[in-house]
Amino acid sequence: MISETPDVIAATGQASMVDRLYDSVMNIYRNHTFRVTIQAIITVWAVITFTFFLIRLMPGNPIDVLVEQIMVAEGIPYQDAYDRVAASFDFDPDASAIDQYFDWFSDVLRLDLGTSITSPGTRVVDEIARFLPWTLFAVGTGLLVSFVLGIVLGMMMAYYRNSPLDHILSLFASFMTGIPNYIWGLLIVIVLGIQFNLFNVGALRGTYDVSTTPGFNLPFIKSAFEHAFLPIVTYVVSTLGGWMLNMKSSTMSVLNDDYVNVAEARGLKDSRIITAYVGRNAALPLFTQLTISIGFVLGSGVVIEEIFVYWGLGHYLFASITTRDYTSMQGVFVILVITVVFANLIADLTYGFLDPRVRVSGQK
Amino acid sequence: MSFISSIFSGIWSFLKRISKNKAGFLGFIGLVIYFFVTFIMPSFVEFDDEANLDEITGPIGSRIVLAVNVDDADRYHTLEDLAGKTVGVVTQTGGPTFIEPYEDTLTVEEFSWSSRREGPGIQAALVALANKEIDAMLIFSKSVTEFIDNQEDPELRQLFEDNIVISNPTLGPSHLLGTDTQGRDIASHIVHGGRLLILTAVLGGLISTAIALVLGSLAALFGGVLDNVLTAITNLILAIPRFPLLVVLAGLISFDNTLFLGVLIGLLGWPALMRAIRAQVLSLRERDFVEAAQSLGLSTGHIMMREILPNMISFVAINLIFSITFAMYEQIGLVVLGLAPISDYTWGVMLYFGRTRGTLFNADGASMALSPVLAIALFQVCLVLFARALEEVFDPRLRSAV
Amino acid sequence: MNQKMNDDVVLRVDDLSIVYRTKRGNVQATTDISFDLKRGEAMALIGESGSGKTTVSLSLIRKLPKNALVTKGQVLYQREGNVRDVLKLSKRQLREFRWKDCAMVFQGSQNAFNPVLKIRKQFEDTARAHGWTDKEAVRQRALELLRLVRLDPERVYEAYPHELSGGMKQRTLLALGVLLNPQVVILDEPTTALDILTQRAIIDVLNDMQKKLNFSIIFISHDLSLAAEMADIVATVYAGEIVEIGPVNDIFYDPQHPYTHGLLTSVPKLDHEQDLLTSIKGAPPNLITPPSGCKFHPRCPYVTEKCSVDGPPLAGDKPEHLAACWHKDALLKAREELAQEVAQ
Ligand SMILES: Nc1ncnc2c1ncn2[C@@H]1O[C@H](COP(=O)(O)OP(=O)(O)OP(=O)(O)O)[C@@H](O)[C@H]1O
Ligand SMILES: [Mg+2]
Repeated sequence: MISETPDVIAATGQASMVDRLYDSVMNIYRNHTFRVTIQAIITVWAVITFTFFLIRLMPGNPIDVLVEQIMVAEGIPYQDAYDRVAASFDFDPDASAIDQYFDWFSDVLRLDLGTSITSPGTRVVDEIARFLPWTLFAVGTGLLVSFVLGIVLGMMMAYYRNSPLDHILSLFASFMTGIPNYIWGLLIVIVLGIQFNLFNVGALRGTYDVSTTPGFNLPFIKSAFEHAFLPIVTYVVSTLGGWMLNMKSSTMSVLNDDYVNVAEARGLKDSRIITAYVGRNAALPLFTQLTISIGFVLGSGVVIEEIFVYWGLGHYLFASITTRDYTSMQGVFVILVITVVFANLIADLTYGFLDPRVRVSGQK
Repeated sequence: MSFISSIFSGIWSFLKRISKNKAGFLGFIGLVIYFFVTFIMPSFVEFDDEANLDEITGPIGSRIVLAVNVDDADRYHTLEDLAGKTVGVVTQTGGPTFIEPYEDTLTVEEFSWSSRREGPGIQAALVALANKEIDAMLIFSKSVTEFIDNQEDPELRQLFEDNIVISNPTLGPSHLLGTDTQGRDIASHIVHGGRLLILTAVLGGLISTAIALVLGSLAALFGGVLDNVLTAITNLILAIPRFPLLVVLAGLISFDNTLFLGVLIGLLGWPALMRAIRAQVLSLRERDFVEAAQSLGLSTGHIMMREILPNMISFVAINLIFSITFAMYEQIGLVVLGLAPISDYTWGVMLYFGRTRGTLFNADGASMALSPVLAIALFQVCLVLFARALEEVFDPRLRSAV
Repeated sequence: MNQKMNDDVVLRVDDLSIVYRTKRGNVQATTDISFDLKRGEAMALIGESGSGKTTVSLSLIRKLPKNALVTKGQVLYQREGNVRDVLKLSKRQLREFRWKDCAMVFQGSQNAFNPVLKIRKQFEDTARAHGWTDKEAVRQRALELLRLVRLDPERVYEAYPHELSGGMKQRTLLALGVLLNPQVVILDEPTTALDILTQRAIIDVLNDMQKKLNFSIIFISHDLSLAAEMADIVATVYAGEIVEIGPVNDIFYDPQHPYTHGLLTSVPKLDHEQDLLTSIKGAPPNLITPPSGCKFHPRCPYVTEKCSVDGPPLAGDKPEHLAACWHKDALLKAREELAQEVAQ
């Protein structure tokens, strides 16, 4: 700041205070952990708000639809029907829209998502708590496996680039990414399950064998893995190609970096160079893509779980949509988004942990 | 005239470039074939809407095989041709197979079928057929060919080979991909089921690419508050898993128009691409020729249209293709779940029926589900291969958003 | 090919020829390079861009690009009486040889450090790769070396590369270079891309370290004044050949090859008139189809017919100062005239 007259100087003195405050606030903001956490919180808030408006204020919203249905079906006056619906959705019918919003908001924060419309008395949260772990289990395992596999195969493609191996893997990768995941699911069912009869698709419905007792025992864990196996394979196959291709190009650019060359000149063992020097650096950009992938795969669970009749959150969401159970639907959606945001947060924080350059300064 | 020839030479040089990348060339050829099949062939191939087998029951999804005597093989093409003849019928379930309307015209002889496939039913029927005791045989399974091939008794085998023709699986002219649960020709459905699907996906892809292009360049060119706001909104939308959102919206509003669905998918599909385009414009803005234009005092609009956009054409085109694949993914996903219009008989709808009518789980009925599955899968693969080839051919430095 | 080496010779390069295979043909990047490097000696390689300096230095640790091919020659290292040809080492021996016997600071190696590992880790990695697992001992040694290169040892040791400035990184790399007590340290333009003051500091540090640790240096630079300051021996490289080699003073005050002379006079010196600054006319030759005879002849002011037919041998009156030129006399005369002009 260039000041010319004394009173401007006084003003700048103050301004620089403000500036410094601004700077320190910005410094905190630039802190990676802090920033991604704040962003996650804002996102969750926005989505909860969005859902509120979607369910209540849109023309043809479920509340109006339900009220009308009940009025027609049972011949009761509007107010009674409205009160019934309000009870299900758990809001105060006499309060103003603003109050209802704050009410809804605090309810969601306390994980109170109302009760199911089709099966009264069932709390939506309890239902979600029943289904969510299975989805997380299948999606999490699938993503982990494909991420690790993709990194390994992608590096192989880069190290053996232009070899037959590279060409074949590239073609495979294009097939894997190109074909939609539910198509993969159907292919697995039709070709492997039915035509070649490799497994009994019918017996693998649900999330575990009901004859086993849930808990930390081998038969249960085994049956859980068996039942999740096909969804997991589908998640792996449909995401693997993307990781492979990304890892390949990322590895190729890292291989040109000076520090790899220097590491070789330093006489480091190949195993050390491949893991800590090439692999780790090449995998970094993939973590940013992981955040997009998590949302995508979790979201696609709705179809995949339907195809394999795997009883996870997606299956529950679909079931509540077909039965027009709006409170359940709303609850699942909110939880799904929060899960995605939370998973992204973890991926982001892991990234910060892996890349020291973003840890403090936030500049990449 | 020279305009046309320049177009041709342009196309020629493009083909030459793309053919360097073998996989990409394959994708390109595939797309040309798809275009031919889905946009041109429908004018020549009639949509088979005649549910001619509705009245014949049989195991769900099984294909009906007509076996006839060699002598008069080409006389039997439809059920009508069989009027007045004796027809042997074997079903897997062994239950009654013909329902009233046909019993007036056909003489039905039933051969029971044990629960195992190699039961005496087929054998007895085949022997009767070979000995010309019956005129034709209907069987609700494709396994009859296998059965004849695996016949161990040499005498019987000879008998069958000499006397029986199998038109598999058919009543009427042979079906390339078999028939569906109603005896309709699946191949004709494949030919007709692609156009709307592809058009909708292209519509969705175009809309999201257009939005992404406008918002991305606005954010990059004007920067400041506008950039911050747009980026924040984008990140927010990006955090919402798109497919469940569509599923929920489908639960709230019922989609009854396929094109409307395409528009909606397009309206939701831009954020990831917007970020990529923003980054692309930002980096182009740093380049010399743009800076030179800026120092000449040319307007932002002019710079965008004349300097930046032409340099992004291939990038945008490639990402348009990826957007199309995404739009298609979402559209078909909704259809498979039964949450999108099923009045237009597209590949997605075929898949939906294939699933809901249980053919998925029946080895003999696989074609009904497998045909659309492969049609969709190969189309998407062609698009992806083509896009990746473009990526390599045009500018290896440009990376797609996904 | 004299296998017997004097005890004080640590590195002998013998008739080394390297080609790069490219689509347009074979690039003859170095031809018949030979020299000895003695313990504690610093040798500078000078020459225009593209003359093959980096190629020579990379071959010394067998780190040439994949398309390079050593067509001829030996690179012999002597350690405690053992003589080994680097070009014949097995993969494993080679790995153990690198950095322990010969460390290299690459050209423009601002990104020589893995960005995601602390400096400490990278020192430890280097040590462990050569069988030195005692982390505390490594730490002590590293801190000592970092102090030697005038850095704040504790801070730098625990820092990530991005927390260091360019000059700090370069000095850290020097410290890392001598971690294992190598006999030879190769520095390929270690100071380009650094500002003058940092350049100075690095040179001082290097001189200092060399005195204390007594390793040999191969120093590549465009900056002749730095070379003059650092080196005991100077070799001029032209089109992949050493055209002149000798003690630093001989080279700078009594250049015997027109190319060396050209290089020296193309450096503006404060005590010379600007108009005497004669740069070498023409451009370096195409190494795919190099000129016949003396490769410098198309650009040489003293060229005669003989030059384009026969390549002159590397020879000289004094055994330690050799030059490959048929017309040393003509050059001498020209230099005397020039000196007179300056004097007037
Ligand atoms: N990987 C390679 N493939 C083909 N030719 C190469 C390769 N690397 C170097 N060359 C060629 O070999 C010759 C010598 O190159 P080198 O890098 O050794 O020169 P230099 O003296 O180090 O130059 P500078 O001072 O610019 O670093 C040059 O003509 C160069 O074009
Ligand atoms: Mg060099």
